[in-house]
Amino acid sequence: MHEQPTHGFFNRLYTGTGAIDVIGRRRMWYLISAAIILISLGSIVFRGFNFGIDFEGGSRVQFPAGSASTSQVEDVYRSAIGTDPVSVQTVGTGGNATILIRSEALNKEQVDALNDALFTEFQPKDKDGTPSRAAISASDVSETWGEQITRKALIALAVFLVLVAIYIAVRFEPHMAIAALAALVFDVTVTAGVYSLVGFEVSPATVIGILTILGFSLYDSVVVFDKVEENTRGILHLSRRTYGEQANLAVNQTLMRSINTALIGILPIVGLMVVAVWMLGVGTLKDLALVQLVGLMVGSFSSIFFATPLLVSIKERWGPVAKHTDRVKARRAGASSARAAYEAERRASAATGRGLGDEPRRPRVPGEAPRPGARPSGKRQKRRH
Amino acid sequence: MPPSQGSAHPLRLLGVYAALLAVIYALVFFTGDKSSTPRLGIDLQGGTRVTLTARTPDGGKPNQDSLKKAQDIIENRVNGLGVAGSEVVIDGDNLVITVPGDDGQQARALATTARLYIRPVLNAVPAAQRGTTPPPAPGGVPPVPGEAPAPPAPAPGEVPPSVGDPASGGEPAPQPEPAPQQRVFPAQAPTQPPTDPNLSPQQLAQKEIQDAKAQRQSTDPTVQQAAMAALDCTKQDPLQGNDDPKLPLVTCSTDGQEILLLDKSRIDGQEIKSATSGMNTQQARHEVYLEFKSAGSDEWAKLTGEYVNKRVAFVLDTKVVSAPVVQQGPQQGGRTQISGNFTAASAKELANTLKYGSLPLSFQTSEAETVSATLGLSSLKAGLLAGAIGLAVVLLYCLAYYRMLGLVTGLSLVASGFAVYGIMVLLGRWIGFTLDLAGIAGLIIGIGMTADSFVVFFERIKDEMREGRSFRSAAPRGWQRARRTILSGNAVSFIAAAVLYVLAVGQVRGFAFTLGLTTILDVIVVFLVTSPLVLLASRTSWWAKPSVNGLGAIQQIARERKAAEAAVGTREGVKTR
Repeated sequence: MHEQPTHGFFNRLYTGTGAIDVIGRRRMWYLISAAIILISLGSIVFRGFNFGIDFEGGSRVQFPAGSASTSQVEDVYRSAIGTDPVSVQTVGTGGNATILIRSEALNKEQVDALNDALFTEFQPKDKDGTPSRAAISASDVSETWGEQITRKALIALAVFLVLVAIYIAVRFEPHMAIAALAALVFDVTVTAGVYSLVGFEVSPATVIGILTILGFSLYDSVVVFDKVEENTRGILHLSRRTYGEQANLAVNQTLMRSINTALIGILPIVGLMVVAVWMLGVGTLKDLALVQLVGLMVGSFSSIFFATPLLVSIKERWGPVAKHTDRVKARRAGASSARAAYEAERRASAATGRGLGDEPRRPRVPGEAPRPGARPSGKRQKRRH
Repeated sequence: MPPSQGSAHPLRLLGVYAALLAVIYALVFFTGDKSSTPRLGIDLQGGTRVTLTARTPDGGKPNQDSLKKAQDIIENRVNGLGVAGSEVVIDGDNLVITVPGDDGQQARALATTARLYIRPVLNAVPAAQRGTTPPPAPGGVPPVPGEAPAPPAPAPGEVPPSVGDPASGGEPAPQPEPAPQQRVFPAQAPTQPPTDPNLSPQQLAQKEIQDAKAQRQSTDPTVQQAAMAALDCTKQDPLQGNDDPKLPLVTCSTDGQEILLLDKSRIDGQEIKSATSGMNTQQARHEVYLEFKSAGSDEWAKLTGEYVNKRVAFVLDTKVVSAPVVQQGPQQGGRTQISGNFTAASAKELANTLKYGSLPLSFQTSEAETVSATLGLSSLKAGLLAGAIGLAVVLLYCLAYYRMLGLVTGLSLVASGFAVYGIMVLLGRWIGFTLDLAGIAGLIIGIGMTADSFVVFFERIKDEMREGRSFRSAAPRGWQRARRTILSGNAVSFIAAAVLYVLAVGQVRGFAFTLGLTTILDVIVVFLVTSPLVLLASRTSWWAKPSVNGLGAIQQIARERKAAEAAVGTREGVKTR
């Protein structure tokens, strides 16, 4: 209906000119989010987690593979300990290949016996290329260790939630704190769900990694909310646009940033993971990278499609924004009786004590309907959604 | 139109950052040990790490004092391994033993509770006196004439502390004379077996212990005498903590001044209920008060009955910490006091040793990890490679998306990287910060966080340009707005890192630390490097070209808007602020 040329989806995405109607279709996004949560919870309940040795207790012995094969190693293990190892696998590639034995918890004597047997049999070489007993790495973990780490993680989680809720409530507003925390619960649940669904091994590093994705998730929400706050500043004094529409604008304006941030965050993590798995096979690096990768993607999704719609839903249900939204809608419905709507708005502002702000309101020219989504408040330029 | 704040402003900010870097690197290269590499964790350089979790009987939090005491005891044992750079740190309720290098396997066994025994003294000679004694003949002739295995006689020149009723005597003893020399005699030490490279450290240690036992825990008086003559108190004791309480023992006092022949253990340290130190005001001297549990107090009564005017030794980890003379006996009731030439501090120390001698807490090995140097090296390589790849990929993406302005991201990342590296070196020196694998992961993830500040800034510039501003005027305005967002976002990240650092255990602290460090540096870099660079770029006409800054699409939108405004604006009226 206007003379502006239409642009493609990616162009609108890039220029932040409204590629996606997030807020208007928030029912759909809620349904999608709910489905994701249900799948995650279902998987956690019915499939459970694949806990690593840190939770079950156990030993892990690793040495340069050389020419050793896994079946040979199993034989050596059997003759040294008398039982079967939980698993023997080759990890890493080429010169970096190592044999990794996992077993139930061994005591010191057993570990020593195993090391001796492995050394005698395979003569693993150290970094100078001479056979050395020191080339064998071993780690033993008691079954309470994982529990201890998890307990600490839960304490950290609680402290973190309280601190961040206070920070957001003070820096922004309490509604935003609620929405951000809800998004965070979403992130943690879904990340855990993905772990359960895919069957990734849960290590203490994973548990702690989940805590750090909370940082990402909130960072993302804070950036979007910052824009929402800017776009909706003084909105109650004007009745052209609803809070939701302004929030949608904010989401679209920050969408490219969110995508860029996610990509820029994900790229090094993918690099880290590929290198870690390729060169080392297992360990802290992979666990941390994996959980960050999942969490970063989930966090980017939730800050846009869950946190912001939730914020709008909360706002439109309670408080002055709810009244304002009704007013804007009423005004649009009764565009023909604009004068009456103006009176209504004036009364409403008088009743709520609003409308005395810095920005003086201009009376509407009777008979002129505002273009839907005409202009953000406090901005110079007009724009289409 | 052009910002008139003076072009020196951005340059001055850049100068401040350059000065900061200069200070950091001046500290790196001109103070401390001047080494320019950060301290690496054992998972990067190879070594052994043992995490010991204190286990209290009621499952509660261990007392910090006892944790500290346990740390001291274990630290002594770790130092006994003789590996440079070993350390024992308290991490929450845990003790973390770190022994770098390939020789740390023994560290896994260090947490066995220190053993305290009370053994009667059969004979004692000052260690220094042996300086004049010839090496023992193979036959085992008593080397010190006039010193029979029994009865025990206090060494000349040394009055041992006394134990018993303070009223019954025990004048403050003169300070034991320091041994004039403690020389190492070639023949005196238990002959060390030639180090067999194919023996595991455990086997080696076991052999040493067996040899030492055979020599020093014999019931044969001639062997005992030979052992007393041969023992060198200046050497690390292979038997330490491994003596058999059911056999006699030849050993040194902790100060290395005396060699004692002890009978088999009569009371186990576990039987000591408490030990305190205090001032005996009547006699104006410091004393150590000892209380036994019930079984221990019966045995103590028996022991003091048998050994009136003789010495009994408190043996901790095979070393005699105190060997007072029994002044009165039998001492009933399980209470006694030790008097001697104590200062307040030395009395307290002895009381603590007796009370905690067995480690004050029992520990469970939660996690024991030995990383071979090979594996450590390849982990380090993997970490660095992952970091380089991450950096390169982020840079490529920024160049593709933001064209030449992506270069600013690159420069910011490099500037931040230099600062992070320097600070890690310094922190390694000052607070013992070690970079481990998890820390490298934190750094790599920090790359994304640092680059994100630029993204926020740049998207804000795009917002401004969409509204019709030129790149030149959009940059400072965009910065005004991006600043708030960057600060808010980083505050959240920092809270996350700080909470993790304070509350988490183990390796995750390294992760939280580097993440927090990069967050802080991100703020500094974006204020002092990124924004001045972008502001400088915005003032040149070259950067304003769409082909250079990649903002053509935005300018197009702005032009379309303008046209639309012009068409609609005539009807509606354009409000300008």
